[in-house]
Amino acid sequence: MKAAEFDYIRADSVAAACEALAAAGPGEERKIVAGGQTLVPLMAMRLARPSLLVDIDGIPGLAGIDSVDGVVAIGAMTRQRAAELSPAVRSELPLLAKALRFVGHPQTRNRGTVGGSLVHGDPAAEIPLVAVALDAALEAESTGGRRVCPADGFFETPMVTAVAPDECLVEARFPVWNAGRIGTGFREVASRQGDFAIVAAAAQVALDGDGTCTRVAAALGGVAPRPVRIAALEDALTGTRLEDRAIDAALASVEAVIEPDDDLHATAAYRGRVAKVLLGRAIREARDEALA
Amino acid sequence: MSDRGANYRYVSRKRRAREDRRFIAGKGRFAADIAVPGMKHVALVASPHPRARIRSIDASRALESPGVHSVLTGDELSAETAPLFNGLDIPNVKWFPLAVGMTRYAGEWVAAVVADSRYLAEDAAELVEVDYKPLPAAVEIESLLDSDSPPVHPEHGSNVLVRKNFEWGPVEEDFARSEHTLAYRARWGRSSTVPIETFGVLSRWDPIREILDVWASIQMPNYQEQIANALGIPTNAIRVYNDVDVGGSYGVKRGIKHTVITAYLARKLGMPVRLIEDRLDNMSGGDAHGPDRLFDVTLAFDGDGTIRSMKLRAIDDVGAYPGRGPLQLGKPITALVGPYRLSSVAYEAISVTSNKTGQVPVRGFGQSPTNFMIETGVDLVARRLGIDRMELRRRNLIESHEFPWRIPTGTEYDSGDYRAVLDKTLDLADYDSLVARRDAARAAGKLAGIGIATCLEPGGGNNIFEQLLNEKLEITTFVESCLMRVDMHGNVTAVMSTTTSGQGHETLIATIAGEELERDPDSIRVTHADSLEALPTRSPVASRMAIVLGSATSEAARKIRSKMIKIAAHNLGVGEDRVEYQTGTFFVRGEPARKLEWNEIAGIAHRQFHRLPPGTDPCLQEFSVLQVPGASGQLPNEKKEIQLYPCFSFQAHIPYVEIDPGTGKVEVLDYAIGHDCGTVINPDIVRGMIVGGLAHGIGAALYEKFAYDEDGQFLAGSFVDYLLPSSHEIPMVKDVEHCTPSPKTSLGQKGSGEGGYLGAPAAIASAVNDALAPLDISLAELPMRLCDIEAAIHEKRTERTE
Ligand SMILES: Cc1cc2nc3c(=O)[nH]c(=O)nc-3n(C[C@H](O)[C@H](O)[C@H](O)COP(=O)(O)OP(=O)(O)OC[C@H]3O[C@@H](n4cnc5c(N)ncnc54)[C@H](O)[C@@H]3O)c2cc1C
Repeated sequence: MKAAEFDYIRADSVAAACEALAAAGPGEERKIVAGGQTLVPLMAMRLARPSLLVDIDGIPGLAGIDSVDGVVAIGAMTRQRAAELSPAVRSELPLLAKALRFVGHPQTRNRGTVGGSLVHGDPAAEIPLVAVALDAALEAESTGGRRVCPADGFFETPMVTAVAPDECLVEARFPVWNAGRIGTGFREVASRQGDFAIVAAAAQVALDGDGTCTRVAAALGGVAPRPVRIAALEDALTGTRLEDRAIDAALASVEAVIEPDDDLHATAAYRGRVAKVLLGRAIREARDEALA
Repeated sequence: MSDRGANYRYVSRKRRAREDRRFIAGKGRFAADIAVPGMKHVALVASPHPRARIRSIDASRALESPGVHSVLTGDELSAETAPLFNGLDIPNVKWFPLAVGMTRYAGEWVAAVVADSRYLAEDAAELVEVDYKPLPAAVEIESLLDSDSPPVHPEHGSNVLVRKNFEWGPVEEDFARSEHTLAYRARWGRSSTVPIETFGVLSRWDPIREILDVWASIQMPNYQEQIANALGIPTNAIRVYNDVDVGGSYGVKRGIKHTVITAYLARKLGMPVRLIEDRLDNMSGGDAHGPDRLFDVTLAFDGDGTIRSMKLRAIDDVGAYPGRGPLQLGKPITALVGPYRLSSVAYEAISVTSNKTGQVPVRGFGQSPTNFMIETGVDLVARRLGIDRMELRRRNLIESHEFPWRIPTGTEYDSGDYRAVLDKTLDLADYDSLVARRDAARAAGKLAGIGIATCLEPGGGNNIFEQLLNEKLEITTFVESCLMRVDMHGNVTAVMSTTTSGQGHETLIATIAGEELERDPDSIRVTHADSLEALPTRSPVASRMAIVLGSATSEAARKIRSKMIKIAAHNLGVGEDRVEYQTGTFFVRGEPARKLEWNEIAGIAHRQFHRLPPGTDPCLQEFSVLQVPGASGQLPNEKKEIQLYPCFSFQAHIPYVEIDPGTGKVEVLDYAIGHDCGTVINPDIVRGMIVGGLAHGIGAALYEKFAYDEDGQFLAGSFVDYLLPSSHEIPMVKDVEHCTPSPKTSLGQKGSGEGGYLGAPAAIASAVNDALAPLDISLAELPMRLCDIEAAIHEKRTERTE
């Protein structure tokens, strides 16, 4: 478990990082390293063997959280733990705050970054799940300039995202829901605390004054090659009062969306059943919170 | 409350373990901390195939890689060394450190690369080209009994390594007169001890002095003997340093193949060579997996719950290279009927080989799977008869006045008060409120359960069971020794001859020596002699150090004490019987002013020959070597009856769990354990063993599994897939002691290194099954993964709605 040989550059600006990535030869595998919580173990096992490593840890301004005009913008290099403890995230993105507590352990969250988790794109990861649930916009930079990708479409297959090898993710922007009474729910099951979820479920609801649901976002992780929204369920529940019966009925639409797989820790059938259980719980949690 | 400590000054008193200081300060000295000039590093080339013929190995590119000194293959090594030790009589199963001609499991080491650093060695290892022809593998445990399963060792003729049938007591009669029988299956998954420190070894050959120096993270009997046999050099040409700290083991630190690789290379290259396993080496290729067992059991019992007899078949999948692993089918014969009054037992023990990593001894040497098997049956009987599980145990437990109690296999249990420990544990768990808590949780729609396991921890390591599985292993001597001296200033040094992997032997010896000599244990130096400077040790397996080394320490100290009394008597001008000794002073009974101090006697012994009683040897040094105590040291009789381990500790475990019915997730919310290991030497060490053992057992019950797919591919080679419980998964543990001293040891001590682990898997399984009882589900396969539990719940609920 010793990494293969690689070159290392510590970039002092995003532009410098992008130049370094662009300058690498076409056959060369180049990689940004942020918190290193995923990449470094993969390199130690030689499952990843970049010949060039561009460290973005020292770039001023790449970490930080801003809340402007109904959007919370989180710099790619922001540590997961910093996001979890941020007052802006807690008050305006409570769903993300809840989800972050399930990302690894405080020790890994102190190093791991929001951007690293998004670009890594594990189908069971919590941050990508919330990004999909809340329609986050993800901004990446290369020597060719900046572009913004919607979260929908950003996650392609397991560990493959829309970020190209010469791009650096700079920011994730999460829209804040303002209308009505907002509630959130996040549930997951993992073999042990801190493990990647076997299945994770995220829900956010808005209720109007008389308790009618005006908006709902529901998404699942761990049951498809990428985090998935359950649009039919969202449609079915909008306009209801989120009665238990309505929720249970709407959960039937989960099956059509998910494509769970077997792995060492759980069967596909398990994932399918548990997806509904957890999403049901997440929606109820969100409803109860909104009503409270 | 226990009655311990009443008469002791240091023993049983809460005192810091002396080893803690160096570990907490980060000053332990582990194998990887040891470096010698010119040392080279090994990386390994591992087979990606479960079973394959090796057509060729081309190392030419690797040899050109920077800093590389050598690439060793199995062909060369097997030509130059003898095969490694197998416990069974299987001469056609040849085990070499590197694969010869064929690989037998995914991860098996095929070549070893030596370079200036581990980085360079790994770079070069990637360049070794091995041409494999993959073959179908032998994987599923029951299929290994079939004559047409792919042969792991074709020369052996089948995948069955040993199959032995034993019958102790009137089995058929007991079955005939019992009112009920119950048959069940229990499956113990392939887990192990997975220490923080992987195995590491450094070998250096000195061609001038003709000595091989070995520093290793080792915990194994007969280590230097096995090295000598493999390399064909005299045992006294090998020096194993026993002062290397071992970072966890509980049986698995047995890197004989690693040692032979480095020792061979050190001799061949004339350079010190070290091999430190990384986690991948350790998990896939280190031959460090534990038992993997399938039990088929039938119990015979009466309507009142009296269990009379058991018929048992155990199949153990020992992987590709058996080593000592299969003997783990033998040790549980020591306590094959648990703490219960069965009058007969039939045992069929089958060891099979497969295309999986080799098996090593793991904490308890097969006893934990066996206890799980027994306790599963006892719970099933309770469920069948509708008798409370605690009550059923009470009816079957051996009672305190019945000791010594001889079980059908011929072993006598030394002492115990099982009911008292069970009662104490029920009190500790506050059982009535625990039941109320469970029932309230159930009423609220949860699945909740209370577990119970009452089980034994045999201690002392009288391994004559080996003979039951392999008649050729006619070994009946299992000794430990202690050398003790008092120097001219009166300072005490005790010398032991084994490594320590967390058991706190220095504390053990200092405490016992301090007690016997009435000296402050902190003033007593304890050292680890190397293998040339002391008698061989059986190594700290089977909780044998407290029992055998502890008794040897007592004996050496008592000899010192009587010699000092003799010198005192001579110098005080009285008979020995008139001299009394108290905390450092020797005086004439009734005349305390006529006295000599400890240091004065030490001075006389070392410097004043003229003041010694005639015929007394100068100086103060005594030695004790002890065989395992009790009626040991004999071969089994013609009925295969035999006294095995001498001492029997006991525990009662009562965990409380809740299960999320929607996800199958088990949470262990409470854990009470009562334990009796006779006289406790150091309470912190015993509690550490109990809690650590529980954690280990909870891992085996719910999380840990070295999984293979059906083709034999290894799936759990890192901590992402081999799930160790962390502190989040381990509840706060409440414990209570009880003390029934052993009549067989110097201070009444028994073993305590395994107990938590020997009962926790059974207890957790019992709790899960209690939680599932309202659904009429009973599971008996470990680990109980959340998805299996959920699937069972789902199936039952679907059945019920249909
Ligand atoms: C013990 C443990 C438990 C964990 N448990 C969980 C869990 O439960 N849930 C979970 O979601 N994660 C978990 N993780 C993973 C953790 O959250 C990682 O921190 C995260 O996946 C990656 O973030 P990082 O900053 O460490 O990225 P790195 O490891 O540095 O990089 C990861 C990948 O992203 C790329 N990358 C990083 N930043 C950028 C950027 N700005 N632009 C372009 N590419 C970039 C890298 O090139 C690399 O391919 C766990 C990790 C550990 C060690």
